[in-house]
Amino acid sequence: MVPAAHDDSLIFDSRFLAKLERLYLLSRKIFRGHQHGERKSRQTGSSLEFADYRNYTPGDDLRMIDWNIYGRLDRLFVKLFEQEQDLPVYFLIDASASMRWSPGPEALTKFDQARRVAASLAYIALANLDRVNMFYFSGELGAASGMCRGKGQFHTLLQFVKYPPVLSGATRLLQSARKFSQEAKRRGVVFVLSDFFDPAGYEEALRLLRFHQFDAQVVHVLDPGDLDPSVRGDLQLFDAESDSFLELTADDSLLHEYRSAVETFTSDLRNFCVTQRFGHVTASTEIGFEDLVLRVLRRGAIVR
Amino acid sequence: MTFLHAWAFGFAGLAPVIALLYFMKVRRRRATVSTLMFWQRVLVENPRRTAFRRLRQLLSLLLHLLIFALILLALSRPESARFAGQGNSTVLILDLRARMQAIESDGTSRFEKARLAAGDYARQAGPQNAIAILSAAATTEVAAPFSDDEKPLHDALAQLIPTDSGGDLDAAVKLADELLVSRPGEKRIVVFTDAEPKIQSPKSEIEFVAVGEPHDNLAITRFSARPLLNSPQTSEVLLELRNFGDKPARGSVELYLDDALLDVKPFDLKPDGRLVTASPALPRAGHGQLRARLDVKDALAVDNEAFATIPVPRKTHVLLVTRGNWFLEKMLGADELVAFELLGPESFKKEMAASFDAVVLDDALPPNFDLTSAPGNFLFVKQTPYNVDGILDQPLVSDVDTQSPLLRLVTLQNVTFLRSNRAAIPALPGEWKFSAPLRSFENPLIITAERGGQRVAAFSFDLAETDLPLRVAFPLLMSNTLQWLAGHQESARASMHAGESIALAPGQTVRIKDATIAGAFRPVKNGWYSLDTQNSSSSLAVNTFDQRESDLRSAPMSSHRPSVPAAAVRQLTRIPVWMGFAVAAFVLFTLEWWLFHRRRTE
Repeated sequence: MVPAAHDDSLIFDSRFLAKLERLYLLSRKIFRGHQHGERKSRQTGSSLEFADYRNYTPGDDLRMIDWNIYGRLDRLFVKLFEQEQDLPVYFLIDASASMRWSPGPEALTKFDQARRVAASLAYIALANLDRVNMFYFSGELGAASGMCRGKGQFHTLLQFVKYPPVLSGATRLLQSARKFSQEAKRRGVVFVLSDFFDPAGYEEALRLLRFHQFDAQVVHVLDPGDLDPSVRGDLQLFDAESDSFLELTADDSLLHEYRSAVETFTSDLRNFCVTQRFGHVTASTEIGFEDLVLRVLRRGAIVR
Repeated sequence: MTFLHAWAFGFAGLAPVIALLYFMKVRRRRATVSTLMFWQRVLVENPRRTAFRRLRQLLSLLLHLLIFALILLALSRPESARFAGQGNSTVLILDLRARMQAIESDGTSRFEKARLAAGDYARQAGPQNAIAILSAAATTEVAAPFSDDEKPLHDALAQLIPTDSGGDLDAAVKLADELLVSRPGEKRIVVFTDAEPKIQSPKSEIEFVAVGEPHDNLAITRFSARPLLNSPQTSEVLLELRNFGDKPARGSVELYLDDALLDVKPFDLKPDGRLVTASPALPRAGHGQLRARLDVKDALAVDNEAFATIPVPRKTHVLLVTRGNWFLEKMLGADELVAFELLGPESFKKEMAASFDAVVLDDALPPNFDLTSAPGNFLFVKQTPYNVDGILDQPLVSDVDTQSPLLRLVTLQNVTFLRSNRAAIPALPGEWKFSAPLRSFENPLIITAERGGQRVAAFSFDLAETDLPLRVAFPLLMSNTLQWLAGHQESARASMHAGESIALAPGQTVRIKDATIAGAFRPVKNGWYSLDTQNSSSSLAVNTFDQRESDLRSAPMSSHRPSVPAAAVRQLTRIPVWMGFAVAAFVLFTLEWWLFHRRRTE
C-alpha cells in the first residue's frame, strides 16, 4: 500500500483537469477501435470526413449517392466517409520495490510519480473517448483496472491508482510484457512507466510489444538519487528489490564511474527508443508534476 | 649505522597489534539503494578497480607498518658511521668586557646580540661537533666544557652576564687554542665580540662574529679622593671626563657623598676632549662613599658612574704604660685620631693589650715579657725586648729607610740622641719579620717586627734623651708608628679596577650578598665593597676606568653575518638521520591520510 501521505499527490484540481482536457494522446499507428470515437480508423463509416467513392450496388443507402456525379457522368456513385473509433490505451505501471525506493522518508517516490503521470494520461484518454486499461507489474503482471471509457470512469481509475496491490519480486519486464500481450484483446497504445532497472534488460520486452502490434510509449521514471547518489565512505549497500548486498568504499572516483554508468544506461534507453521508433520521455521525480505533464510529455510527443 | 637509543626498538612488539587492529572488521554504514545493478557494473566490469581494491587494503597495512617502522627508527637516533670519524671541535669565546654592555640602536645590548649569535652556533652541537664556551673579560673562564648536547651550552650562555671590567681577548684565544690541541678533527675558534681584537694568530681556525655599531660615548675615566697633606681632616676629589666621540658634548656631572647630592658640575667637552677637575676639599664624615654620575644618556652606561672612597680615619685606641712621659702624653692628647689611656707599669697585664690597637710601653718592659704569648701590638720605648748589653753614646743617624711606613714624611735631619740602648735584631727571628728602618751604623735605633697580624716597634732610645720630641718629625713618627701598629695604613688602598685581583690580608674578608670571600678578591662589577676585619671595616671602590672599554668607536661600521665555516656548513646541510626518518614518516602519514580520505586506502 502506498503511504497515505503520497496519495495527496493524486488529487487533481479542476483547473488542472481542464488543462488536461485540452490535450490529446498521440499514436503512431491507427488502431481498430471497438466503439465510435474520435480517432481515425481504416474503416469507413459515418463521420463527416469524406473518404472515397464506390459504385452503387443495390441495397446501398440512397442518401449516400452523389447526385452531382450522376448528373455529369450519368453513373451512380456512393460517397464513403471515414469511420472514427476509440483508441485502446494501456498503462503498464512498474510497482517493483525499486520504484518505491526513495532517498528520504518524505521524498516523492518514482512509483508516486509514475502513478500520477498514468492518471493524468488516463484522464486525457478518457476525455477523448478512448478506452483505458491499467496494469501494475513487477516480477509478473499484476491486476488490471479493467477497460474504462468516458470521463465518468476516471474515478474508477483513480481508485485503482490510489490503492495499488503489493507486488513482490524484482522487475521482470519481459515476463510482464509477454503476459500483457496475451491478456490485451485489442491492440493500442501502451505506456510503460518504469525505471527499467531490470538486470535482464528492457530491449526484449519492448520489442515483444511492438511484435504484438502495440504502440509502446516509454516513460522512464527516475529519481535524482539514482542519478547522483549522496552516499559516501565505507558502505554496505542493500538492493531494494532483493536481499543481495554489496560492500564497497564510495569515493569520488567510484561515484564518478557510477554516474557515468547510469548516464550510459539512460542514453542507451533513449537511443533504443529512437531507433526502434518508441516514444520516450524521462519523468524525473524532481520535475514538477504539472510541468511534466504539460511540457515534458508534449515535448516528448506523447501528448499534443 | 649506530643507534643511540636502541631501546626504541622495543616498541616493535606493537607491530602485530597494529596488524591485528587493522584486520578487524570495518563497521560499514548500511544503506539501501534502488538497484545494485550499476554498482556491480562499475565494480565488476572495471578490472583495474577490482584489482586495486584487493591491493589497497594490503597497501594501507603496509603504509601503516612502514610509518611505524620509520617512527621507531627516528626514535632510535641512528647515526651514520660515515660521519663518526669526522667530528670537529669548536670553542665559542664570548666577550664579557664592559664595552659589551653598550646598547645598540634597536635597544638590545651588544652582549645580548653576541649571546644570540653564540646560541645559533650552540645549536650546531652534535655527536660530530663538540662545542665549548669560554667567557673572556679581565680573566678567561670556561663557561661550558666541550659538549655535544646543546642544552648545557644554552644553559651556560644563559648564565653569562657581562662584567664591568676591561681586558683583552688574547688570553681567551690562547686558552681556546690549548683546549683544542688535544681534540680530534677540525678545530675552530669563534669569537663573539664587538670589534676584531689584535691577537696573535692561533693554531686553530678562528672566526670573529662582530656585533654592534660604532657609537659616541662619554665616560668618567678617573675619579678618586685623597686627604690633603696639609689638612688631613679634608680631602680633595679628582675627576676626569673624556669624550670618545666626534661631536662636542655638553652636560653635567653630579657628585654624591653617602648618597646625598654634594655638587653638580657642568662640563663642555670638545670632540675627543678631556676634562680634569679637582674639586674643593670635602668634609670627612659619614661612610665616605663618593659617587659621580654623568647626567647624559649614551650607549654605555657603566662608565657614566664612578665610585670613590674618602678614607675616613678612625680613632686608634692606645694604652700608654708609663711612669710619666710629658712628651708622649701631650702628643697623644693632641692627636684627634688617638684615644689613649694611661696606666702605671705595675698595673699593666699583658692580657690588656688585646683591647687596644696599640700598647706603648715607655721604659716599662715587664719582666720576662714574652711577645709570643702577648696578644696585641706594642711600641717599646727605651726598654725593648731586643735590647742587648751596652749603651750607645751619642749615636748618629746613619741609615733612614724612607720607604718604611714609620718614617713616611719624617725628616730626622739634625736630630741628636744623647744616648741609646744597644739593640739588635735577634739572630733566630723565627716567625718574626724584622727590619730596622733607623740605624746608627750597625746598631738599630728603631726595630720593627711583624708576625701574622701582630706588630711590634721598638725605640731603643729614651725620648727624654733626644731632641726628637722637639722636632716636627716626632708627632709624624708617633702617628705613623701608631697607625702602622693599628694596621690602618693597609686600608689606604681605597680603589681598584673591575676585574683586578687583590690579596686580602689575613682575617680580612669581603661579603658579597650571602658569600664571604677571603684570601683573594676579584670584583667584576663596579661599586663599593666592604673589606672587613675583626676590628675594622673599610670601603673599596671598584671602577672600570679603561679607555679601551669606553671608546666604542672601534666597533665595525656595520654588523655582518658571520661566514659559516665549511665544517659548520656540512653540519647544517647534513640533516640528522633521525630527522630524515621522522620527515619520511610524516610525509607517509600525510600521504596515507590523503589516500584514506580519497578512499584510496581502507
